[in-house]
Amino acid sequence: MRPGRQLAVLGLIFVVLYLLVFFSGGAKGGWQDRLEPRLGLDLIGGTRLTLEATNTVDGKPPTAANLEEARQIIESRVNAYGVAEAEVVTEGNRNIVISLPGENRDLTDVGSAAELRFRKVLKATDGSGAAAAPAPSASATPAPSGSATPKPSGSASPKAKPSGSAKATASPSAGGQGGMAPTPSASAAAPTPSASASAAPTPSAEPVPQSVEQQRKAVEQKVGAAAWAAATGLKAPADLTTDPSLAEKLKPFGALSAQEIGVLPADMQFNVPTITCAQLDDRPAASIKDPNQQAVACEAGAKYLLDKAKVLGTDVKDANAVLDQTSQWVVSLNFTGKGQEKWTALTREAFNNEGQACDQTALGQDGKCRVAVVLDNEIVSSPEIQGVLTGDSQITGSFDNKSANKLASQLRYGALPVTFVPQEQQNVTATLGSSHLQAGLLAAGIGMLLVIIYSFFYYRLLGSVIFLSLVLSGLLVFGALVVLGRSIGFTLTLAGIAGMIVSLGVAADSFVIYFERLKDEIREGRSPRSAVPRAWVRARRTIISANAITLMSAVVLYIVSVGAVKGFAFALGLATVLDLVVVFLFRHPIMTMFARTRAFLSPRVSGLGRALPARSAEQGTARNPRVKEA
Amino acid sequence: MAKTGLAARLYRGEADLNIVGRRKLWFTVAGVLVLIAVLSFAIRGFSLGIEFAGGNSFQVPASVGTMAQAEDKVNTALAAEGGGAKVVTAQKVGSTSGQYYELRTTQLSADQANAVKTRMAQEFGIQPDQISGSQVSEAWGSQVTSRALLGLLIFIAVVAIYLVLRFEWRMAVASIASLLTNLVLTAGIYSLVGFEVTPSTIIGFLTILGFALYDVVVVFDKVQENTRGITANNNMTYGEAANLALNQSLMRSLNTSVVALLPVGGLLFIGAGLLGAGTLKDLGLVLFVGMAVAFLTSILLATPLLVLLKNQDPRISAHNKRVLARRGAIARGEIAPKGAPKATPAAAETIDPEAAALAGAAPKVGARPVGKRPTGTRGGRPGGGGNRPGGAKRR
Repeated sequence: MRPGRQLAVLGLIFVVLYLLVFFSGGAKGGWQDRLEPRLGLDLIGGTRLTLEATNTVDGKPPTAANLEEARQIIESRVNAYGVAEAEVVTEGNRNIVISLPGENRDLTDVGSAAELRFRKVLKATDGSGAAAAPAPSASATPAPSGSATPKPSGSASPKAKPSGSAKATASPSAGGQGGMAPTPSASAAAPTPSASASAAPTPSAEPVPQSVEQQRKAVEQKVGAAAWAAATGLKAPADLTTDPSLAEKLKPFGALSAQEIGVLPADMQFNVPTITCAQLDDRPAASIKDPNQQAVACEAGAKYLLDKAKVLGTDVKDANAVLDQTSQWVVSLNFTGKGQEKWTALTREAFNNEGQACDQTALGQDGKCRVAVVLDNEIVSSPEIQGVLTGDSQITGSFDNKSANKLASQLRYGALPVTFVPQEQQNVTATLGSSHLQAGLLAAGIGMLLVIIYSFFYYRLLGSVIFLSLVLSGLLVFGALVVLGRSIGFTLTLAGIAGMIVSLGVAADSFVIYFERLKDEIREGRSPRSAVPRAWVRARRTIISANAITLMSAVVLYIVSVGAVKGFAFALGLATVLDLVVVFLFRHPIMTMFARTRAFLSPRVSGLGRALPARSAEQGTARNPRVKEA
Repeated sequence: MAKTGLAARLYRGEADLNIVGRRKLWFTVAGVLVLIAVLSFAIRGFSLGIEFAGGNSFQVPASVGTMAQAEDKVNTALAAEGGGAKVVTAQKVGSTSGQYYELRTTQLSADQANAVKTRMAQEFGIQPDQISGSQVSEAWGSQVTSRALLGLLIFIAVVAIYLVLRFEWRMAVASIASLLTNLVLTAGIYSLVGFEVTPSTIIGFLTILGFALYDVVVVFDKVQENTRGITANNNMTYGEAANLALNQSLMRSLNTSVVALLPVGGLLFIGAGLLGAGTLKDLGLVLFVGMAVAFLTSILLATPLLVLLKNQDPRISAHNKRVLARRGAIARGEIAPKGAPKATPAAAETIDPEAAALAGAAPKVGARPVGKRPTGTRGGRPGGGGNRPGGAKRR
């Protein structure tokens, strides 16, 4: 045991930790900003987002049980590691309020991707109308210029990339798992200029409890009888290039708001070429939720008519992003018992193309039906089914680590039973505020001072070892808080501060064990030089087993529990591990070095000499015969 | 030794308190207290904080004044119409569409909420429809509590396995029993006194878990060390050896508890004294109560319980009988005492292996008198092994 080496390791840990504090990803601002740990809602306030639940188009509020289930799913999504101290509560009978510490956080993704559906792709057409559409003319049609304020829509453009083709031929993977390869959309590019983005919502489009029929009537009036009749008359996607008059007739559909599009029958949404993907993507979140209805959705600019949803998000038990044998990122799917039956049935239906349900336009490269994974209004992926899948399944495609994980998490949490419309994001102030933060820090100061006074009183100069190691623990904990706050969102609340204070006090305990051991050894007449390593061996065993128990409680609680308890368990485990680090890499080497000094045994300096009964003290450091069974 | 005060004897680990011997007393006291605690759970229950129950929230435009004023007025309205409800948190919420105060209160019925809203409007001098109110769910759902309890059970199972492997099953049983007693008594104090249970309380409660066992493990470590190979000699019963270990680690236990309680006391002082109520006080209180109870149970309950269990072990009970028989013989003057029996629990003697082997037989010529005289050959025991020359069976 070389004390110098252990201290060097400790020094290295410090350097690395504080390099991370100052230079790791996400560190920005001045030196002082980089030293800020992430504080909780109670101390500095945060960002709040209210999600309003819409239960299909009928506008009825969801049941309390559904809302609670949704709340839990959202909570696990916001607080994946359980350490972010997010607050997710239900409010009234249709709102879920999410509060995250820190101002101006981006919460827009939280409530999204709520409804997951697996639907067979029945027909496909590119967004503009004719399959062989001369793009410019077709794309120009839907925009009745000046008639409406274009809504800034981000969803119109990114769909236009003809991607995915390179990986489309990925075949079923080996090992009993079925593979699905997404087929690229037929269209080269989606000729939907952003100018065609939908009009601002009209008063009639309020998501109010207005039955679908009434809403359709309203839309019918808006587009005019002629357009409506033309649209209902369509049996297939209209080719506007061959029939310019039809284009003129159907023009009003291009001016409809996304909400209005949402209430139209699926056939009409699909067949009317002037209804663009931009409009479809902007439909209210719950528009194609009903699993018993056919639906229309877009992928990469192509419009698909989708079958009824035979497998739902609630049928997925688990989804994970994994690397397959060829080092491609894939998403593996695991269904529940019932879900697996449904999934097998769906894949059989798709593989055999039963009843020729899938149109030629919708088939994949191998002539099999495709199944679209639909999240809310968007198709995430529409792999071709390359076999009847009876076990776990994989979605292959051109994923990278990030996109595979994103899809997996969307699938995993796709069981949200309710759909949400995010409201405006707001900043909230702290519930407790800075006075409590100061009080907490004051309490920490007082507590530490008491511990230090006590240890100086009791252990004399050895108290300085306790003092130094408390300071070290404090610095380690602080550095870890800053780094973890940045990397996994670890958030410090007032309770967390209190817990850290307590854990530092408990950390002092392992010193007590050591020093008492040391006293035992010296009382038995050992010289300090031999007492220190002996006491260390004994104390180490005790310290390890005692800390192992604390660590066990932290690990078990972290795995099992949810919410605030999870965060607590994490903090407890962190404090324990850091305690062990300080004990092994600081206290022991320091004591070893200390034992070499002459002053060590003096009662004034270390307090250890008092352990020696007066009579044996006379014998100096000679071995005392009263060796104890130990 | 007898001249020195208790503090000095404690310091040297020679307090010589007979804790194990009075185990019936401790068991009775613990049993009665546990019974009281359990009765209290059944009859009085716990007073749960708002975090477990949900409540109402009101939104008031920020134009009415400062947040403190708003809070005051809402409290006035609540006092008049709310039937004892209070404002729990007040926050300022800001966005592009304007700013407002959001005040969360304890639970109100629908009628009460409406009445409070009307009253609030009067207090603020604004229209009732400028205030919006709604029910909010509990932030700490029942799921959190049930999962925490599940975690507690799993932890106890895991730690029991660990203790069986690390020590032995009797020690595992004794430490888990003392841990459970500790938890029940802490909860009992909460129930009896009627301290409010908040999320901070539960978190603090879980912290005690580790702490209570920590104490017990340290004491048992010493007990195990002191009783290793105890059956090889006839000087001490298991109970005496355990009592000695307890006395030797008493100072450590005391120190640990003081060191751990000092910062907790600081928390409690600041939390209760400066801030009145809240997280700091809740956490400080539960830790203070729990750690104090943990100190007592680890000393007074765990080791006596272990001795009780150990005495059921045929080998140990045979050993105890031998020791007592030998003492009886010494008392009757049949054999020469090897050392003052009184002193045995306080200061462990080097045990003469030959004497041990010949225990119960005639006094050996070489029986060592009380050990002031350095015997050289015997005193300097090399290494950390037993004091037997070797081969003697352990335990």
